[in-house]
Amino acid sequence: MSRTDATAACATTREGPAGLEAIFCPKSIAVLGVTNSPGTVPHDIFVNLLDSRFNGVVYPVAPRKRHIAGVRAYDYVLDIPDPVDLAILVFPGNVCEMALKQCVQKGVRGAIIISAGFREVGPEGLAREQRVCAIAAEAGMRVIGPNCLGVINTRPDVRLNASFARAMPAAGKIAFLSQSGALCTAVLDYAAGKNIGFSKFVSLGNKADVDEVDLLRYLAEDPETSVILMYLESISRGRALMQAAREITAAGAGAKPILAIKSGRTAAGAAAARSHTGALAGSAEVADGVFEQSGIIRCRSIEEMFNTAQLLAYQPLPKDDRIAIVTNAGGPGVMATDAAVANGLRLAAFAPATTAKLRKALPAAANIKNPVDVIGDARADRYAAALDAVFADESVDQVLVILTPQSMTDITAIARTICEIRDRYRDSGKALVCSFMGARDVAEGIEILQRHGIPHYILPEWAADAMAHTVRYRRWMNREVTGFRTFEVDRARAAQVIDASPEGYLLETQALEVLAAYGFPVVPWSLATTADEAVAAAEKIGYPVVLRAVSPAVVHKFEMKAVVLNLPDAGAVRDAFGAMRDRLLKTIRAEDLAGILVRRMIPAGKEVILGINRDPIFGHIIMFGLGGIYVEALKDVTFRVVPIRESAAGKMVRELRTLSLLQGVRGEPPSDIPAIEEALLRLSQLAGDFPRIAELDINPLIVHPAGEGCHVADIRIRLAPPG
Amino acid sequence: MADPQVLERVKKVIGRVLGLDPAEIKPTDHFIFDLGAESSQSVELVMGFEAEFGIEMDQEKALAVQSVEAAADFIAGYLKGR
Repeated sequence: MSRTDATAACATTREGPAGLEAIFCPKSIAVLGVTNSPGTVPHDIFVNLLDSRFNGVVYPVAPRKRHIAGVRAYDYVLDIPDPVDLAILVFPGNVCEMALKQCVQKGVRGAIIISAGFREVGPEGLAREQRVCAIAAEAGMRVIGPNCLGVINTRPDVRLNASFARAMPAAGKIAFLSQSGALCTAVLDYAAGKNIGFSKFVSLGNKADVDEVDLLRYLAEDPETSVILMYLESISRGRALMQAAREITAAGAGAKPILAIKSGRTAAGAAAARSHTGALAGSAEVADGVFEQSGIIRCRSIEEMFNTAQLLAYQPLPKDDRIAIVTNAGGPGVMATDAAVANGLRLAAFAPATTAKLRKALPAAANIKNPVDVIGDARADRYAAALDAVFADESVDQVLVILTPQSMTDITAIARTICEIRDRYRDSGKALVCSFMGARDVAEGIEILQRHGIPHYILPEWAADAMAHTVRYRRWMNREVTGFRTFEVDRARAAQVIDASPEGYLLETQALEVLAAYGFPVVPWSLATTADEAVAAAEKIGYPVVLRAVSPAVVHKFEMKAVVLNLPDAGAVRDAFGAMRDRLLKTIRAEDLAGILVRRMIPAGKEVILGINRDPIFGHIIMFGLGGIYVEALKDVTFRVVPIRESAAGKMVRELRTLSLLQGVRGEPPSDIPAIEEALLRLSQLAGDFPRIAELDINPLIVHPAGEGCHVADIRIRLAPPG
Repeated sequence: MADPQVLERVKKVIGRVLGLDPAEIKPTDHFIFDLGAESSQSVELVMGFEAEFGIEMDQEKALAVQSVEAAADFIAGYLKGR
C-alpha cells in the first residue's frame, strides 16, 4: 500500500511547513525509551543530543531508571513537569502507539519516530504505522519517520542532533533529505571529509506523515538553507512534489535549487504493460521527465550531487554558459575544455583588453587564449594576474582554475591568492571553482579553498559537470513559461467510442475514430469483411493501399504478419486479403477477426513514437521517442507528466539522442518537427480529457519533410475499467 | 484473572532480571513501557520463567507476551498442560 493510501489524512490536513518548527527548533525534547546501554540506538541518540549542546532542555523517559547519562529520568512523558515540544521515540515499534498516545496527552507538538517495526516488516507493521499516524493526525502532531535515523539542525541557536549519526556536521547552507538512513551516515562522513556543512539533515524513514513535499516547503522558507538535496527511493505525492518544486526553484530572488537522486523502481505497471510506452515507462525514465518538468536537478551519484550543491550554495549563479579556464598544465586544460563542451558549456571568447592584459602579464610561451595556460612553472603571481584579467572580462560567466603540483608550484600560496581574487570579485556574479589535481601534495591547498567556500574537484571533468548543472538551473529560472495550448476537438465523438467500450484494447477502427476526433492526421480507411469489400474500399480510397487485420487477438501486428503494405491494384488487394485471412485464422478464432482495414499507404518518412501511460504516482504520462519496431531496444525516449506546455513539447523532441535524424542528415530534408509538437500537445489534451486511457501507443507516427506534416501509421489504445 | 501464585513467582523473576522490587510491579505493567525492559532483557525474562517453572516455552510466542499478567496466564497454560 502506498504512503498516500495509508496516511492520506495526515498529509491532506497538515500540508505545508506548519508544525515542523516543533521538530526542527524545539525548546524542549523528551526522548522516550532511552536505555543505559552504550552502543545502542536508544542510548546513543540521547547522548548525541547532549553532545550537540542542544540549546534547550532534554528529558529522558526511561521507565524505572533514575537517570540516563547523568540526567534525571522519568517513567512516563506525562511525569515531565514542563511542556515538551518534541518527542523522540526510540521504544521498540510495538510500544510506540502507547508512547505516542501519552505524548498527545502531554501536548507534544512534533515527534520523530526512530523505531523500526512498521510497514517495512509487513502488513502487521503497516497497520501499526497507520494507527500511529492516526493518533498523531487527530492531535495535529507532525511525525517524521518511523524507521529513520533522525533529524539534525545545525542552526547555532538550536544545535539539534536528534539522530544516531556519529557526529554533528558543521553548519552550512545545504539541506539534505534522505529516504535511506544508512546513506545519511555515509553522507555525513563524506561531507565532513570535504568540509561541507549542512543547514538541516533529515532522514525521512517510512514517510508515514512528513514526506519530501512537506520538507521542501519547510526548507523553502528556511533562511539557513540555500540548496536542497534529496535522496528518494519512492515518491509519495507525485503532483504535489512537482508543484512544490516548481514554486521553490523558480521563485525569483528567493529561489532555491533542488538536487535529487531517485533510485529504485516504483512503476508497478511497467512490468505488466503490453504497450511500448508502458514497457519503457520505468520509474527512472519517468523521474527524468518529472524532474525536468519541475526544475529539479537530477543527479546520478552522491558525488555529482555534492559537486553541484557546493557550487550552487557558495558561488553566484552564473548568468550564462561562458567559462574561462586558467591552468598551469596543458593536458588537463584540454581535458577540461572537452568536458565543458561535452556538457554544453562554451569557452568564453576574451575581449581584446583581456588578451592584452594576459599578454603583458604572462611569459611568451603562455597561452593567452582560453584555456589560459600560465605554464608549469607558474607561481601565485602569475595565477593572480591571469585571474584578475578573466574576472574583469564581461564575456566570462564562470572561472575554472586548474593546478598540477610541480616542484616549483607554491600550492598554498596559489590557493590563498585564489581566495583573495574570489573576495575581490565577490560582486562580479561570476562563479569560481578549482581543480587542484592530485592528492597528497595538493591537500593543504584544497583545505584552504574549501574553508573559503570555493568548490574543489579532484577532476576538471567533475568541475565542468557541476558548472553545466548550474547553467541549466539558470536557464530553468529564466525560461519562458508557455501556456497549455488546446485545440478545437470533437470530444463527444471520442467519448462515444470510449464511454461505450469495456476495459481492454479498442479495435484499431475505434482507436482511429478517437484520434480523428482529436484532429490527429489519420489517412482515409475502411473496414472490409470480404475481398470484394476490400477492393471496393481500395478503389474509393485510391492506390496504393495497406491491409491491416482488426482483431482484439492481434496486438503486435508486425509480429503476427497482420499487415500487408503497398498494394498497387485490385488484384493485389484481393490476393493479399485472402492470404492474410487464411493465415490469421490458423492462429485466431474467426469471431475474433472483426475484419481487415483498408487504408491508404502513407508515404515514407521518419518513424517516431508518441505514447500515453498511467503512472501510479504521477497519473498520465506522455512519451516521445524514436519509433518503429526497435523502440524498446533503442530506448531513445523522453517522458513528461500530462498536461504538457508548448515549451515542453518542443523540449521533448529536442531531448532525443537521435534528434539529428529529424533535423536531416546526409542531405536529407529536415522533418516536420512542429507537426510532431502539435501531435504531442493534442495527445496531452486527449489524455487529460479521458482518464480511462490506461495505455496508448502511436507507433509509428510517420513524419514527413518540414511543412508536409505527419501521419498516424499505427495506433493502440487500452482502456481502464469504467468508473 | 491470573493465578495469584503464578503471578507472584512471575513478579519475582521480573524483579530479579530487571533489578526491581517485586512489590512495585503491578499485574498490568507492560514489560517495556512500564518496567523499562530492554530488548536483551526480554530473552533473559523468558529464560528466567522457564527456569522458575521448569517449562520450555515457544520462544516466538513467549517474546510476544507484553505484560506481567499476560505472562502469568501464558505460563499457567503450560503448567496446566503438564
